[in-house]
Amino acid sequence: MRTIDIHAHLSSQRFQHAMKNGKEWHGMTADEGELDNPMNHWDPEQRIKDMNSIGIDVQVVTANVAFYKYDQPVDVAAAIARETNDEIREMMVDHPDRISGLANVPMQDINAAIAEMDRAMNVLGMKGVMINDHVNDVLYDDPIFDPFWKAAEDMGALVLIHQARPTTVNPRLNKFHAPNSIGNLTDRTITFATFVFGGVMDKYPNLKICLCHGGGYTCFGIGRMDRGYEVRPEARVNIQKPPSEYLRSFYYDCLTHSEASLRYLVSSVGADRVVLGTDWPADMKLDWPVAWVLGMDSLTQDEKEMILWKNLEGLLNI
Amino acid sequence: MRSIDIHAHITPEGYIRAAEKGEDWYGIPATNGGMSNNNPRTTWTPEQRIADMDSLSVDVQVLSTTAYLYNYDRPAADIAKMSIEANDYVSQLTKDFPTRFAGLANLPMQDVGASVAELERSMTQLGLKGAMIGDHVNGKNYDDPEFLPLWKAAEELGAVILVHQGGDTVVSTLTTKYHLPNSIGNLADRTVTFSSFVFGGVMDKHPNLKICLSHGGGFTCFGIGRLDRGWSVRREARVNIVQKPSNYIKMFYYDCLTHDERALRMLIDTVGIDKVLFGTDWPFDMMLDWPVAWLMDMESLSLEEKEAILYRNLEDLLGI
Repeated sequence: MRTIDIHAHLSSQRFQHAMKNGKEWHGMTADEGELDNPMNHWDPEQRIKDMNSIGIDVQVVTANVAFYKYDQPVDVAAAIARETNDEIREMMVDHPDRISGLANVPMQDINAAIAEMDRAMNVLGMKGVMINDHVNDVLYDDPIFDPFWKAAEDMGALVLIHQARPTTVNPRLNKFHAPNSIGNLTDRTITFATFVFGGVMDKYPNLKICLCHGGGYTCFGIGRMDRGYEVRPEARVNIQKPPSEYLRSFYYDCLTHSEASLRYLVSSVGADRVVLGTDWPADMKLDWPVAWVLGMDSLTQDEKEMILWKNLEGLLNI
Repeated sequence: MRSIDIHAHITPEGYIRAAEKGEDWYGIPATNGGMSNNNPRTTWTPEQRIADMDSLSVDVQVLSTTAYLYNYDRPAADIAKMSIEANDYVSQLTKDFPTRFAGLANLPMQDVGASVAELERSMTQLGLKGAMIGDHVNGKNYDDPEFLPLWKAAEELGAVILVHQGGDTVVSTLTTKYHLPNSIGNLADRTVTFSSFVFGGVMDKHPNLKICLSHGGGFTCFGIGRLDRGWSVRREARVNIVQKPSNYIKMFYYDCLTHDERALRMLIDTVGIDKVLFGTDWPFDMMLDWPVAWLMDMESLSLEEKEAILYRNLEDLLGI
């Protein structure tokens, strides 16, 4: 039994050192990077102690979403991406059995994003990238992104999808934590639909996309998307089979905060498509993720092992 | 065996006649969308409607005027008058065909006082069973204290409040392609509405309020775990309520419009069979095509559960 967590973040220590010392760091400020969460201050050794405590063997580390910076000039975002990726690389070198990584890439410039993904995969030994649900409101069915999907497919890079604020819920209800607790899941569903209805999965059938937060509401809402496909010509402009046929083209983390929903997800997409993801160290994380999965009556031991490590071993070759 | 459909729309004849002449109706343009050129059912006569209900095995439609008639962004006085005509029209149909139609009112929600008055008139004089309203009113959510008099009135009158989006949804802000503002947005909006009522403390203040969330309550039952987590870890989620949101999930009613047997099964398992109602979205393209057969054919529901959904729950709820 092993455990590999695909959804674990890093608030860059380089950034934090600069803030503590009153130094400039690519224009970022100390109110970014979720520093109000004390776990975000932890160094790699403290991180690993916590991993030991919660039963996580390997974290596939990603930079906190504050470091996307898609709205900044590309050279700024590219420099931040390089620094955060180099930092994760150092963690991987220091703790090869405990830390793997996905790269941050400056998506506002596709060539720069491809170049950094290439460096991350081929120089730094990372396993893919984490990107937002969209790039400054441009969605992934835009042909501008096609070279990126092709490059990710060619490199075998895993593309992990994870929102940054704001989500689509913000304009309507910016209260009660709804932009996160509903918005993250809504945005992930839109991203699934964008890849599928936009024809991206037909063009790049070997693209390895993992949708965080269990893919949001995708598996539960797929029936209505199928209905939309049936009755509306605009839903059929790019694809010739219903969206439910594409459910198994994606990976999904298990971050549902509900056993019934996780069981539903596993039954919808197959146990071979669901991977452990905890959202460490955010407050919306799974507190005791391994015990949570192991304690589920509705999953078989085989399913638990696939989720906890087997699927990610195969997918990331770690 | 009976079947009662809580989610069935109608365009008032007054609007159809005005639109045919290219005229406005209470300031609403003929091109508003209440009639859709590619959907002939929207202009069918009551007799044609009943013939279709017979074909579908739907015994009773609880009529609500189409959401295109909300017009919360238009002058309140116009829409209050329009609502009176629309509700009178629906009421007359329930009198002309008492065994086939019941009705829900349209309300001028941009004016809460006028909405309370029209709801009261609809319930006490017109014999309607409640009202259908949007997920929000010009961006104002239902946790806003402005709406409290309406919830109080609805509770006292025993009115069913059917929640149904009108126009843009949260998805529209990001994309308008592939029918996603409807296929994802309706469900996301309903989930936000559930949250507004619950996190906003409305259900604590008005525990006997009878709210039915159309489209199966959207993603509410599937996403309730993350709502609970937000309540657990975030102060701003606890400003109005001292219980987690999942404790409120059985306070609402939900229609069965999931387009997915497994999703409906999960809804029933989450909210209880007594809270799930038959709803079809007739006559729109996103409706259930053969709704009675769809339900009857489900292997994962017992016959008792099918009967509860098809008519028993709505018989009890509406007294019909």
